[in-house]
Amino acid sequence: MIRHLYCTAGAGMEELLAEEVQHKLCATQVEQIPGRVFFCSNADLQTVTQLKSAERLFILLRKAEPVSLPSNPAKAAAVIKQRVVGDPDIWRQTFLTWTALQQELQCSQQRGQKRKREDEEESLHTPSFRVSCRCSGVIARSYTSQRLSRIIGMAIKEDLGWKVDLREPVLEVNVYLSNDHCIVGIPLLKHPLASRSYMKHNGLRSTIAWALSSLCPKKLNDCVILDPMCGVGAVLLEAAQEYSNAVFLGMDTDLSQLQKAAENVKASGMEGRVQLLLSSAIEIPLADGAVDAVLCDVPFGRKFSCSSDMPAALPHLLREMERVLRVGGHLVLLLSLQLSAQLKKTICTQEHNQNVNSLDTNNLHTDPSNTQNESTDTTKPLMFHKSSSEMSNTPLLISSLQAQRTHRVSLGSTDAFMHTYTKIHTHTLSLK
Amino acid sequence: MKLLTHNMLTSHVKGVTKGYPLIIKATEVKVNELEFNSQFVSRMIPKLEWSALIQAAEWLGHSQDLPSTLIPDYENDEEFLRKVHRILLEVEVLEGCLQCPESGREFPISKGVPNMLLNEGE
Repeated sequence: MIRHLYCTAGAGMEELLAEEVQHKLCATQVEQIPGRVFFCSNADLQTVTQLKSAERLFILLRKAEPVSLPSNPAKAAAVIKQRVVGDPDIWRQTFLTWTALQQELQCSQQRGQKRKREDEEESLHTPSFRVSCRCSGVIARSYTSQRLSRIIGMAIKEDLGWKVDLREPVLEVNVYLSNDHCIVGIPLLKHPLASRSYMKHNGLRSTIAWALSSLCPKKLNDCVILDPMCGVGAVLLEAAQEYSNAVFLGMDTDLSQLQKAAENVKASGMEGRVQLLLSSAIEIPLADGAVDAVLCDVPFGRKFSCSSDMPAALPHLLREMERVLRVGGHLVLLLSLQLSAQLKKTICTQEHNQNVNSLDTNNLHTDPSNTQNESTDTTKPLMFHKSSSEMSNTPLLISSLQAQRTHRVSLGSTDAFMHTYTKIHTHTLSLK
Repeated sequence: MKLLTHNMLTSHVKGVTKGYPLIIKATEVKVNELEFNSQFVSRMIPKLEWSALIQAAEWLGHSQDLPSTLIPDYENDEEFLRKVHRILLEVEVLEGCLQCPESGREFPISKGVPNMLLNEGE
């Protein structure tokens, strides 16, 4: 059965969620708006609940043109009844679908909750409900969310005879009103999809940790994947959920973080595939080209192991990650806006080279080799003076990382960029 | 530390040119049964330093009579792949240390986690 569903997503995650529903659920009519992705799918609900980039999952009840409300409350109630609530039959139909989906979920989770069953039979036609409304834009100027919730609740009660229950309702009706949208839906799960049962200690937001592996230009099956600053292992464990045929190495300089990572690895049953080491990301104890992919949430603002701060350490970190990556391997980094700007400086010459290469093949043999000589010259003295203070001002150019895709996401209080690179063969490499 | 990890680790002490393979001095070794995945093991084999793996397994007394050179057509030899699975993923060093073959620097292994951190100037 085709169901009209939608998920909420963090800012910047909508595009990735749209890709995920198409890829994993073969979803159709995929449409994204800020914070939400709508889709149609006949996938079983258990599969839908495995989505990794979504926050919450809803069944869509109504998606209509934006509503403008008169400031007279009585008139506003009439408009809401007509434009927000609409056809009562659609509500009854959606409620039946919702009930069926709840049973499908309970069966698959083998939870025979008798008390709930009785409740459901009683409320088969007149469920208790509460409205939680979020509004923005013009409407928000004259109405608060609470007031709108009350008006909408009254309208539903009158039209459908459903009972309002603010404490333990059977249904939660979510309404989102903005200048551009009027959306009504019912959440299918009590817990957000984004809260992972397999994580004992939370690190980076799970959806974003997952996105790092999903942004990798190629599938990571049969690969060796490294996170040189793994913390509690959020990025590794999300990637391990996605790629069951890969090996993961996590490194960190903080033993207490690694202990939490070890507990997470154990709780998620990934002990065979995720290995942890106490090691600095600036001196990775692996041979050149040893790994197929590097995924890393680069911490910012925190003091770093080699007695220098992250902006100063970043070029060395990049250099080291590039070194252990094999040619053709992928690097995916999550960086603060400030570190992103610095990252671009470190690789800007490379991007310039690419343009030259692609536009003018005559320059292929002369121009890149010149810049690469330059880059090795600047690299060498720097590599032996890790704690010197002047290094942050001197660019350390990396010529073998080809930029693939940049994606901006919100981390709540701040934004960050996800950068993906592919390591390409260069002269610098063959000279080594 | 599993031998899969050991197979990839190198010593990065200053002045060391190869630093591979690290010598294992184990004081506590455990064998954890793990689900066998023949496809995974056979695809991992080309990525391994075979001789270093066999050497490491011998140090731990778990060589499983595996040959010192890799056999051809191992992809279809389930018995062989099961043995590799055992030494690669099931045998685990819990306590002991890893020693750099060139500098002699020792890296302690505690609760299964190798400490590869270097001191300043090393």
